Amino acid sequence: MYSSIITTVRRRTRAAILVSLVVASTSARAATNEELEAQLRTLADQVSTLQAQLAKVTAEQNAQLTSTSPRGSLTPDVANGATGTAAPSNDRGVSFFGYGEITYARPTDNPSDTTENAQRFVIGMSNQFDENTRMVSELEVENGVSSADDPGEVEVEQMYVEHTFNDRLFGKVGLFLMPSGLLNENHEPTNYYGVFRNRVETAIIPTTWREGGFLAEGDTEFGLRWDAGFTTGFNLSKWDPASPEGAESPLGSIHQELALAKASDLAGILALNYTGIPGVRLGASIFTGDASQGQPGFDDNRVTLWEAHGTWTPGRFEFAALYANGHISNTAKINATFVGNPTLIPESFYGWYTQAAYNLYDWQSSSIKPFVRFERLNTASNYADLAPGLTPSNGPDQDIITSGFSFFFAHGVVLKADYQHFHGDGESDSVNFGFGYQF
Amino acid sequence: MTDADRGLFGLIGAATLLVPTSVVVAADYLTIDVAQREFFPSAQSFEPVLIGLTPEQKANVAKLAGPQPPHGSLRIWSALENGVNVGYVFFDEVIGKSDYISYATAIDAHGALKTIEILSYRESHGAEIRNAAWREQFANKADLAQLQFRTDIKNISGATLSSEHVTQGVRWLYALWQTALRAPSS
Repeated sequence: MYSSIITTVRRRTRAAILVSLVVASTSARAATNEELEAQLRTLADQVSTLQAQLAKVTAEQNAQLTSTSPRGSLTPDVANGATGTAAPSNDRGVSFFGYGEITYARPTDNPSDTTENAQRFVIGMSNQFDENTRMVSELEVENGVSSADDPGEVEVEQMYVEHTFNDRLFGKVGLFLMPSGLLNENHEPTNYYGVFRNRVETAIIPTTWREGGFLAEGDTEFGLRWDAGFTTGFNLSKWDPASPEGAESPLGSIHQELALAKASDLAGILALNYTGIPGVRLGASIFTGDASQGQPGFDDNRVTLWEAHGTWTPGRFEFAALYANGHISNTAKINATFVGNPTLIPESFYGWYTQAAYNLYDWQSSSIKPFVRFERLNTASNYADLAPGLTPSNGPDQDIITSGFSFFFAHGVVLKADYQHFHGDGESDSVNFGFGYQF
Repeated sequence: MTDADRGLFGLIGAATLLVPTSVVVAADYLTIDVAQREFFPSAQSFEPVLIGLTPEQKANVAKLAGPQPPHGSLRIWSALENGVNVGYVFFDEVIGKSDYISYATAIDAHGALKTIEILSYRESHGAEIRNAAWREQFANKADLAQLQFRTDIKNISGATLSSEHVTQGVRWLYALWQTALRAPSS
């Protein structure tokens, strides 16, 4: 319909101009200058009127295009018409996203410890305030039910405002995921292999690790991305020497997650990632900050965590590797007060893994990808010296071999199965199944 | 605040101040008008294209393209050189992680894709798809069989959703071209 209107308007414009020119040329000999000027003014008015009509029709057509655009549809629908210069719309508003996963773990040595768990249910919401400013938030429920008598947790996982300063510079302020490792910012079940997240990026890098603060982010045309900012940090006064939690994840036991976080000591993070070669990612990050937070008995307890990582996807293969190392300074004085307890504060801890996956079969949105991963970690690889006979022995290296597959049977949905073999600390091998989704 | 703290904050502060100034210069999104001329520099004009698909054509496009993310608006122009069509320019939008990515691409008269140009990217997560090396993977692809995500068009670790959704969007545009725009002889 609109194309026919445009065509009609254009025809009328051409006709008016033609008629006017003919009239002007045939009468020019007899007409005075005043008459010619009057005719030209009339002609100009007619052209202006037609231009306004054309602009109106074009605007109506663009509005029609927007209203029939396939936004939100899973199947693109060809617009009924298209014209004009494309300009991104400011009308973005609120959008929702989320992910979830259910896991089943059966220890081969202790079948009575078999569990099935609604591991995570996360709903995310973002709002675009204007073309350059947006809010992102995620609310998470862990372990099914959260109450005084149940093991679950309800957490605000992310809540930040992000602003685009220019085409290559972003900034965010609020509660956000730290740019550390491969998993922390991409922890949805469709983004990693294995029913459970890898142990190194759980015990050494305390995924899902978030802090409050300010982060500047930028990238370059040649593929270098950088993140740098100031954030809250850890609180060493949370360390519980009577609990095994510190041995399972030293930083996981003292993170604050912006829950009335002690913030007298700020921390800093710097991360670099290079993705300039398609299929390759190389990166590293370092975080450091005082974890004493002004608490009595704690002084200059600096936590430093650095890591380096890489991924490579030649053909149907996917390879990944990561090394992470953590350090807590001036722990001897605090540990001296903990002697006799099972879990003292380690001075250093580390972990690394390598992983290989293969895209065995894919058809439309389905694919099957077997994988194998080897991990080695030590959550207490060294203790600061105490008095003779009081310094704990270094913790054992723990090796974990995980092999299994991910079956992506629809876009954003994955079924997983794997077998985990543990070596080093007596943990039972386990057969695991799970499913997850992300949208 | 200890000396180490002051040193750290100084280092990171310097990084946040210095690094942006070095990258801002290199960054410049294209407008669709500029993108049209980069795709077809010899074309004298770009005429909007109006398409109406039959139900059978729609089904064929969907079948050829495969799974799709949510799309935003779509616009198409015919590139004309001396009045003769030398290809088509497409403006499309697909969802990234939670917001739309606006991009443009083109297909020449022989069915070869041009590179893609990111016209607007609204979230920092996944912004790596703007890398020139990644975008140029699309150039000269001339068949849907050459547009397989992960094998032909590499995934970007950390930007999986954005890179996959743009690839799926380009597949849809190519399927649309095959179904409704391709000249009988090409």
